[in-house]
Amino acid sequence: MANAKQEEMLEKKAKLRQGGGEKAIARQHSLGKYTARERLEKLFDKDSFVETGLFVKHRCTNFGMDKKEAAGDGVVTGYGTVNGRLVYASAQDFTVIGGSLGEMQAMKIANAQEAALKVGCPMISINDSGGARIQEGVDALAGYGRIFYNNTMASGVIPQISVIMGPCAGGAVYSPAITDFIFMVKGTGEMFITGPQVIKAVTGEEVSAEDLGGAMAHNQVSGCAHFACENEDACLEEIRELLSYLPQNNNELAPGYECTDDLNRENTVLDTIVPENPNKAYDMYSVISEIADNGEFFEYQKYFAPNIVTGFIRLNGQSIGVIASQPKAMAGCLDINSSDKASRFIRTCDAFNIPLLTLEDVPGFLPGSSQEHGGIIRHGAKMLFAYSEASVPKVTLITRKAYGGAYIGMCSKHLGADFVYAWPNTEIAVMGAEGAANIIFAKDIKAAEDPAARRQEKIKEYQDTMMNPYIAASRGYVDDVIMPHESRKYLISAFESLKGKRVDKPLKKHGNIPL
Amino acid sequence: MTRKFNIIVDGVAHEVEVEELGGSAAPVSAPAAVQRPAAAPAPKAAPKKPAAPKAAAAAGDVTAPLQGTVLSIEVKPGDSVKAGQTLVVIEAMKMENEIVAPADGVVKSVSVNKGDNVSAGDLLVSFN
Repeated sequence: MANAKQEEMLEKKAKLRQGGGEKAIARQHSLGKYTARERLEKLFDKDSFVETGLFVKHRCTNFGMDKKEAAGDGVVTGYGTVNGRLVYASAQDFTVIGGSLGEMQAMKIANAQEAALKVGCPMISINDSGGARIQEGVDALAGYGRIFYNNTMASGVIPQISVIMGPCAGGAVYSPAITDFIFMVKGTGEMFITGPQVIKAVTGEEVSAEDLGGAMAHNQVSGCAHFACENEDACLEEIRELLSYLPQNNNELAPGYECTDDLNRENTVLDTIVPENPNKAYDMYSVISEIADNGEFFEYQKYFAPNIVTGFIRLNGQSIGVIASQPKAMAGCLDINSSDKASRFIRTCDAFNIPLLTLEDVPGFLPGSSQEHGGIIRHGAKMLFAYSEASVPKVTLITRKAYGGAYIGMCSKHLGADFVYAWPNTEIAVMGAEGAANIIFAKDIKAAEDPAARRQEKIKEYQDTMMNPYIAASRGYVDDVIMPHESRKYLISAFESLKGKRVDKPLKKHGNIPL
Repeated sequence: MTRKFNIIVDGVAHEVEVEELGGSAAPVSAPAAVQRPAAAPAPKAAPKKPAAPKAAAAAGDVTAPLQGTVLSIEVKPGDSVKAGQTLVVIEAMKMENEIVAPADGVVKSVSVNKGDNVSAGDLLVSFN
């Protein structure tokens, strides 16, 4: 039997765990949203979540706030396990004064961040908040600032995942923006610097919150988010899956799993996947899933810049980051958006010791004034920088085209690839045969009796001489030319051989990646 | 409504004032809107509200993802198509890019012809 003091404690706790109370919880549910505690229960292994800071209270006395109770100050923080591995989390509680962030809520979140950094485990922040608690003025802003600073300090040390399950507006968006992965739930998650009402007042433009900053707006158009989920259950399940590909921190490797797939499985379908006509596309997703353990692929930024495909697979149970040209979308070219997407993913993998597999079929950088004026030089440079800088094992498989600057950019030997393999139909060249012949043999073609026939002859000559993997292989830029059906075993063997890879880099504060 | 024009005849500039009768404020140079024949080059998608994001404006429309030449058109107005079905093939970057239907629907109009040059963002196919 509990004594009076113990009873009092139990009552207090029970009341605080009610959050904003029954009515607010019912309203939260009616919007298709779970409460903060329900979300954490689903995210963590059963009964593993341990809450911290339940009794924290705000200290604001302005505008009648002294009479306002806010359970846990509108956020639930603590730690638990996901598939048996330690994770810290914070979840804003919209039922408590709209989940608004004040001094003490920020302190709780910051404490969780600092604890995660101290012990070296992932930090997950679930956002569902009206924004800064205006009554607290600069104290609220100071709170955001501390969270952003902690995000930055933890960047590259522990995986940081942001989850947008409600509003996340104004300055609040910059915490997710700094983190490694942003999940958004369709229909309820929204992010913007200024909302639809302010936009209407200032510019007259009318736009709905979903169109402006909903899950698809950020997954497809802006590229600010990485995952768009149908509902909260699916979202929490995907976060658990993502964590299985990531290490606890930058000093560890991602967990290894027992591989139930045949390491030497022949990929016979790959022998015929590339069409005879080099102008025809094929689906790179088929190549990825054919090579991966059990055909499993966990995709990153599926809806943004589809001309490059990024995500995680496993080879012999080991987590691998894949960057793959997609001939089916915009010819698989590199442009501003695909460069940004790939560069960010490469750096995410490198930070967390996840080896990189590049599947290359790239016709070049996209030409045009919109690309040039949009800064393709600066954005494309990120690819070169990110690949060169990455010290994890890097293996490249060229499946067909590797032209010009894009050949260099897609993790060529020159940027430090440990192994480069090519299929026999590979064309490594400065440009396509037609363009090259027109330049090299311009005079010859002009002087010929039948210039058209001469041009075709010269195109063929260039094609036969240059458009193959053997010149690059003769220089050692391609380690071997392999049959497509041998891809899986060669790649697994390459990554296995690279497990001990160590790279010494010049001492510096940090490189200066073009941003 | 009076409008001023500077007209040059044999190198000599004449400033003339023209008064438009009938009170219409329509600009002089614009002929009455004529239905474009089907063979006309692809008109640029009608100007949209400048700040509207592309995705929002594109509901029901399929636009070119990149600059290129229309190689073939696989659908005609009235056709029912399934999501993922090829609508138009655009050759760009030495590659035949299949532009596919984003969702099931019925084709309302096709705005390009075989051989047309299209720019990124140009309207290709509209759906009902």
